[in-house]
Amino acid sequence: MTGVMGAMQAIKDIVIVGGGTAGWLTAAVIAARHQGRIKAGHFSVTLVESPSVSIIGVGEGTWPTIRTTLKKIGVSETEFFRNCDAAFKQGGKFARWTTGADDDFYYHPLVLPEGFHDINLVPHWLAETGGRSFCDAVCVQGVLCDEGLAPKTIATAEYEGAANYAYHLDAGKFAPFLQRHATGKLGVRHVLADVTQVNQQENGDIANLVTEQAGIIAGDLFVDCTGFASLLLGKTLQVPFKSCSSVLFCDTALAVQVPFDRPDAPMASQTNATAQKAGWIWDIALPTRRGIGHVYSSRHMSEDVARETLAAYVGPQIKDLKVRKIPIRSGHRETFWKNNCVAVGLAAGFLEPLESSAIVLGELSAKLIAEQMPATREVMDIVAASFNDVTAYRWGRIIDFLKLHYCLTKRTDSQFWIDNADPATIPERLQNLLKLWKYRSPWFFDEFDRLEEVFPAASYQYVLYGMGFRTEVDPYEIAQTARMAAQYMRQNMAIAARLRAELPKNRELVQKIQTYGLQPI
Amino acid sequence: MTNIVALNSQTHRALHVTPSGQDARNFVGVVIAEFPHLIPHYPILFSKDAETGAFYCGAMLGFDPDENLFSGEGANVYRPLNLQRGPFFTAGSELVIDLDSPKVGAGERLFDDDGAPTAYLKSIMALFRDLVPGIERSRIFTETLLGLKLIEPIDIDIGLDDGTKRSLVGLYTINKDVLRELPDADVLTLFRRGYLHLIHLMIGSLAHIPVLARKKNNRLLESTGLKL
Repeated sequence: MTGVMGAMQAIKDIVIVGGGTAGWLTAAVIAARHQGRIKAGHFSVTLVESPSVSIIGVGEGTWPTIRTTLKKIGVSETEFFRNCDAAFKQGGKFARWTTGADDDFYYHPLVLPEGFHDINLVPHWLAETGGRSFCDAVCVQGVLCDEGLAPKTIATAEYEGAANYAYHLDAGKFAPFLQRHATGKLGVRHVLADVTQVNQQENGDIANLVTEQAGIIAGDLFVDCTGFASLLLGKTLQVPFKSCSSVLFCDTALAVQVPFDRPDAPMASQTNATAQKAGWIWDIALPTRRGIGHVYSSRHMSEDVARETLAAYVGPQIKDLKVRKIPIRSGHRETFWKNNCVAVGLAAGFLEPLESSAIVLGELSAKLIAEQMPATREVMDIVAASFNDVTAYRWGRIIDFLKLHYCLTKRTDSQFWIDNADPATIPERLQNLLKLWKYRSPWFFDEFDRLEEVFPAASYQYVLYGMGFRTEVDPYEIAQTARMAAQYMRQNMAIAARLRAELPKNRELVQKIQTYGLQPI
Repeated sequence: MTNIVALNSQTHRALHVTPSGQDARNFVGVVIAEFPHLIPHYPILFSKDAETGAFYCGAMLGFDPDENLFSGEGANVYRPLNLQRGPFFTAGSELVIDLDSPKVGAGERLFDDDGAPTAYLKSIMALFRDLVPGIERSRIFTETLLGLKLIEPIDIDIGLDDGTKRSLVGLYTINKDVLRELPDADVLTLFRRGYLHLIHLMIGSLAHIPVLARKKNNRLLESTGLKL
């Protein structure tokens, strides 16, 4: 019947394949959004997970959107902290990206510059001669990070903050945590089975999955969360992979988990990203350990040298630690939703972990699927087309934004950095923007923020002016808003002074949350 | 600084403590048994413990951090137990005292010459017999309301005659919308436990906030010599 009646087929059974972060996140987001229909028995979400495939679980950095996502799916922030070894993240600290000198660093914080919706402070800061960094002139978060402070206190309600924040988390614990919530509270069906065959209809739609342990599983919409394997979208539906390795050179990561010297050792409130000769090293503090990894370009550095570089960063204790090698195939599928199949997570694509784009992209895709859930197969192609537009745009912007961190470098101490600044490796859109930004800094009223931007104009400001980019300033133009600018910068100093006095250390607050919990209001 | 020691009739035989005096704070924790005594004067609200984030109920005393607009009222106004107890605390079942408190030095004796507790000390001991179990009962009351989502933040903004403004954050009150929509079974439980009465006392006590603001205004005017 489905062949003839295909056009009228209602979309009511969602099958998600893959039980990693992307799979459980998508399952929870869709199930939470369609709770009423699930409870009425008109809609179902099933997650099929292989009992033998282990999850990748390197995504340990998130973006502030995760707070809204967790709140929406009904998770308590306290439970999240306790179960996922979470800690606060207030941005990224990028060291040695511009000149490579010891004192070369800038922050990409998570708060907007003070008064961002009223005024663009960039030209006013550029006209200053005080020598303050852009970040410190316009927001408090760099100072909070310098002092290792938390973005809130134990008396701040769950998901609220004195400063905007995201989390560092243990990805190996996050997926099981989401699983318990999705199956226990949201009515997601969990099937542990290996998919042995994917059956398609005449029009190419996926009809069902044949599994080794659970027989045939049929569905109306299939979500591919099978990671690098891309079992449904890549293998079955033959959607090609589009590499971006000519723009982003890093293709390998060496990851290691480093224990703290003592249980109360300070925990950094930001992701540290320290540039190296042919890549960079991430350093993420969880309550239990630091996650450290060297991301590098194997075209520019041998594995032996990359291991030595990592060892030099970690110190002698690396001798006793297990270093995991992870290939990074930078790029994404040409389309993300084809027929009745949409990919989320690594099955859709992957980029180096700079700026933690993996989990946020999964969240945004899951949200879009949940919100735009097609009512029937007939309208699915319309939804798919718009999903593909938006998602391709997002991948493009993230690639541009990551490239920005590299192409603004003034380092010439290795071929890696020289190649990164080569215009031939910079996407045309970014090149054009860089030309434009010489005369006008990116801001709120640009084409940015036209939809849910992963990285808004403020993020570009922090990276550009953190890396010493110069935009020409017309003194006559800024004169008319000079007083307002001075007022916002003073206000920022006052807020910084108050928060420095009020906020506890990141470690201290995380310990308190584990002991006492945060209040829901 | 604090110097907390167990009270002892030998070492503390000659110790004097000031029972009244200034309590420079704008909010003080109270127990639910005090609500009927508080209701004629104080706004009763919830706040959060700075150390643990846990909700507790208390009486609002002023708008600025160390401002107690009730100090100097003497016996006219009921004084919350947490102020009456002065420099005394309990540690387990033991009565302890903070010897560094400014209230220690002059005032009432704690023990007579024979080492027997004075009437004042006896009143403190009686106070703790109310306060200690009262804290636990108040905690259960607060937890119950929190579980029913009956607590919501309240922003208190006042403008004073000298042109300044005060905004108090971190205070909470009863969510009347949730209260109205409460299922019958929950209403009955709250009523039987006596909580419904306490809830209405808390709602009613909000009327004291503008009164307190006027009191502050009058003091400001007095201090600037502009008394009308």
